[in-house]
Amino acid sequence: MPASSFRFTGIGTTWQIDTGDELPEVVTARVRGRVEEFDRAYSRFRSDSLVASLAAEPGSVDFPPDAVDLFDLYDKLDEISGGAVTPLVGRSLEHLGYDSQYSLTAGQGRIVPSRWTEAVSRSGSRITTTSPTVIDVGAAGKGYLVDLVAEVLVEAGITEFVIDASGDLLTSGEPLRVGLEHPFDPSKAIGVVTIENESLCASGSNRRVWGSGLHHILDGRTGAPTSDIIATWAIAANGLLADGLATALFFVQPERLAEHFEFDWVRMRSSGIAERSRTLRGEVFS
Amino acid sequence: MITRHQKTAVTALAGLSLLGVVTGCSTGADASDAASTPAASSKSTSDAAPSTSAPAGSSEYKDGEYKAEGEYTSPGGKETVGVSLTLAGDKVTAVTVTPESTNPNGKKYQGEFADGIAAEVVGKSLNELKVSKVAGSSLTSGGFNDAVDKIKADAGV
Repeated sequence: MPASSFRFTGIGTTWQIDTGDELPEVVTARVRGRVEEFDRAYSRFRSDSLVASLAAEPGSVDFPPDAVDLFDLYDKLDEISGGAVTPLVGRSLEHLGYDSQYSLTAGQGRIVPSRWTEAVSRSGSRITTTSPTVIDVGAAGKGYLVDLVAEVLVEAGITEFVIDASGDLLTSGEPLRVGLEHPFDPSKAIGVVTIENESLCASGSNRRVWGSGLHHILDGRTGAPTSDIIATWAIAANGLLADGLATALFFVQPERLAEHFEFDWVRMRSSGIAERSRTLRGEVFS
Repeated sequence: MITRHQKTAVTALAGLSLLGVVTGCSTGADASDAASTPAASSKSTSDAAPSTSAPAGSSEYKDGEYKAEGEYTSPGGKETVGVSLTLAGDKVTAVTVTPESTNPNGKKYQGEFADGIAAEVVGKSLNELKVSKVAGSSLTSGGFNDAVDKIKADAGV
């Protein structure tokens, strides 16, 4: 059991960092600062972010150096998924009501996003657009921020920790047993896995629901919410990859993703059938 | 016994003809006109491989190695599978199925038809499970939950 837990709120969700010894204040301040820095660059929900400036008017924006890894993964997932996973679902989400005001009022029809590689040109961490563009890094951003927070801890000499960003986990040190929350019943688990020096990210379509068939996981090819797969879990070396793959599992056959990435996975269909990778360290109850 | 083995050989050939067209000539021949069939049919041919005894009567097929190609459509697109079959005295002495996919996904898919394991889920109470953490999506962003609460309140739900 962890001796000490540090809880805080960041990017609109609850975070908990478990460590053997209490984190010094200088470290918790750095952690908060890192989360704030990320939010200021990538948040679609604040008017002073870099993302908000590109949504308001086209042009070139220099994102922080950390953007390179993030957008590199998006490039790859966009290509593999044929545009299903794309940061350009931002406008479609807004249209469905998931906007910065949380209007939660869906407009008529759907907005199909442009292709990421066509609408946006990127050189390193510089993004250039020719029309107002809503970038949403929701598919992999939170997992990536878990990695960035872990970097802060490691730089402070802390080697054993568990970071829990409400569904996205990263652990360093002892193996960790994690329950896979039942999508329809949070008091239950559909399985248990063990992770060790790696990340587990969960994604589900049935919690953040604001209307019939309206949730936050959109297929970039159609601009419409998914329906077949209702929950996914991906285990990978880092949070960026695990989070991105958890999203991609809604749209892409796991075998296809496995050609490009090392990871384990579980996913559950709306029919109540769950699938898992053969090499999963754990079990799915059946 | 003979009948049974003949039947086996026929099954194997039937399976192959589903996959493609057996060429009449011997070693090295390649049938390019392929039929579109499900991947599973290649399995039945390999199951039928080890037959040994020779059938009575005159030979229907010339001894030798026969090759054919089959096509099927996987979730990753169109895939090609090669089948090599050795005949001696009208019986199949060897069958080799070779994935010939050009896309990297296909290679894996053909090598291992079901990568995952699927089953109907049974939930277990978290109280019974000794877990340190739970991973799911029940905890969502504060702003979102507030907005949903507001809508519910406005709607008098």
